[in-house]
Amino acid sequence: MKLISKALFWYFLLAAAVFGIGGGVTFVLVKEAVEQETDYELARNLRQIIRAIENGQPTELIENNHVKIYPLQQALEKENRFYSDTLVYHVRTERMENFRKLVAFRNVEDQPFKIEIIDIYFEQDDIIDVVSKILLRLFLIFSIVLLLGSFLISRFIFKPFEELLASIDRWNLKSNVPLEIPQTNTKELQKLNKFLKRMTDKARHDYQNLKEFTENASHEMQTPLAIAQGKLEILQEDASLTVEQMQLIQSALFSLDKLSKLGKALTLLTKIENLEFETSNNTNISDIARRISLQFSELAELKGLGLEKDIRSGVQLQIDPLLADIMITNLLKNALQHNIDEGRIEVLLDEHQLCVRNTGPEPSTPMHELFGRFKKSNGSNGTLGLGLAIVKKIADVHQMEVSYDFKAGLHEVSVKF
Amino acid sequence: MKILIVEDEKELLSNVNAYLSNGEIVCESASNFREAHDKLIAFVYDVVVLDIMLPDGSGLDLLGLIKEEQPDTGILIISAKNALDDKLEGLNLGADDYLTKPFHLSELNARLRAIYRRRKLQGKSVLTFEEIQVHIDNHEVSVNEVPIVLTVKEHELLVFFITNKNRVLNKQVIAEHLWGDNVDYLDSFDFVYQHIKNLRKKLVAAGGENYIQTIYGLGYKFSKNLS
Repeated sequence: MKLISKALFWYFLLAAAVFGIGGGVTFVLVKEAVEQETDYELARNLRQIIRAIENGQPTELIENNHVKIYPLQQALEKENRFYSDTLVYHVRTERMENFRKLVAFRNVEDQPFKIEIIDIYFEQDDIIDVVSKILLRLFLIFSIVLLLGSFLISRFIFKPFEELLASIDRWNLKSNVPLEIPQTNTKELQKLNKFLKRMTDKARHDYQNLKEFTENASHEMQTPLAIAQGKLEILQEDASLTVEQMQLIQSALFSLDKLSKLGKALTLLTKIENLEFETSNNTNISDIARRISLQFSELAELKGLGLEKDIRSGVQLQIDPLLADIMITNLLKNALQHNIDEGRIEVLLDEHQLCVRNTGPEPSTPMHELFGRFKKSNGSNGTLGLGLAIVKKIADVHQMEVSYDFKAGLHEVSVKF
Repeated sequence: MKILIVEDEKELLSNVNAYLSNGEIVCESASNFREAHDKLIAFVYDVVVLDIMLPDGSGLDLLGLIKEEQPDTGILIISAKNALDDKLEGLNLGADDYLTKPFHLSELNARLRAIYRRRKLQGKSVLTFEEIQVHIDNHEVSVNEVPIVLTVKEHELLVFFITNKNRVLNKQVIAEHLWGDNVDYLDSFDFVYQHIKNLRKKLVAAGGENYIQTIYGLGYKFSKNLS
């Protein structure tokens, strides 16, 4: 829900409440005014009746539906009058209606009288009717003005805010372009803009630093590693070494090798992530898949595995040939490593997907974690645990979808183009 | 064989020097662009080992100079970068081969000798080790002058052994030489073992001596004096 819609919703709710209460108050006030006016009218009538009696008109002629005059026997101690509400049958509306009644005790030329006058109220229903009509119209006008107003105001006041949102939407940490901040003179927005500017600049800076660090670290690492490895290899030449000592050197060499490969794999991941590879040119991945399958068929044979391939010719993808090579190599390497005796590997390629299946033990890691970095299934120590993470990364930057499945003893990794 | 190693890292220079220098190879070194430049103008080398990134210049510029001054000299590029761009550029400019850091010294040795054979001996060289003869150009191998048939990998393995004779070669190094990065550490043992087994069998069957010594838990050594 948009901010302006939310605000409008609450405005309407509040306005409805105010109009509701206002309606009640108006009703009470109008009723009071009508009562006063009716009482005043009754009092005026009373004065006319008294004047008529004083003028000697017979009381019978003065009386009508609304006026009753009763001569009294006893003298009045005190002149008095009372107002009250009463229900009287109304001829025209044919039902009982609210009437105001004035009962007055008066001495007119030494003759005491009880005079009763009734007058119909301005009807309550009519009051309600009128008040609600007025209020409804007001509410309608108010709503139209509010809607139009908020639409115009939001376009005007919220414009910098909307622009900022659009700018944030467009912004990409990796592109290393600062966030475009629209100009505004609204204090809160200026504050928000300032904060966002600071945050995004910091994020950008940190990201660049991290990127450079990753690149430099894994790159600068290779030379010292080469030196250490060389020293150990020279040491290994020494004829006086015992087998145990040579094995120690061997273990050290293995670890150095692993470290070096780790650095290279991480650099590769960073490079793919930073989109440092060309994706615009069409690459015939059928040829690449064939070549790599051929390379692996010898290794598969050495391991006693059958390698079946069903590669459709002329499959083109927009991918850097080096990345296509790395992706297919990693998939096949993975299929070769996590296999069983007398197992098999299947490579399938068509226009829609590349699919590598292999026999193997059931994975110990949850399926979705296999594409994470350093996730290794079944405790394989010789591997880095980055192969599938690299495949996933390559697929991600090329908008391909990677999925893994294990069924009927077959691991299946497929990349959908 | 006379080689020049251009590398700014002194320790790496001394490693290569120590490993390669023996009667057959004369190593000279240069640790910066200027020094390398001077040496390349003054002396003739069979192979130059070139680091692309030097503190005072690019190794790729030296490559151009070598092509101009000594067109017969082989060039092996070493770089910490494994970017394909560098590799292609180096090879386009006429380098013979490319190695990424860190490299195995035995691998460097094998590559250097391969370049030397291709360049200086026009591939017509014959590697000889006792009764074994390997004709590099036509992939023929004979034991006591009787030809034997080896697979491509067995042939590569034999050449690798002979160029690194009397040296301990661990299985990882051999596996990487034969298959590059495609082989996992754990698998390399089996793969290498099978090829070694077959190669040994073929050599012995042809009347050769078994020169491939297994060093338990380590690797192999191709050597005459069995101990």
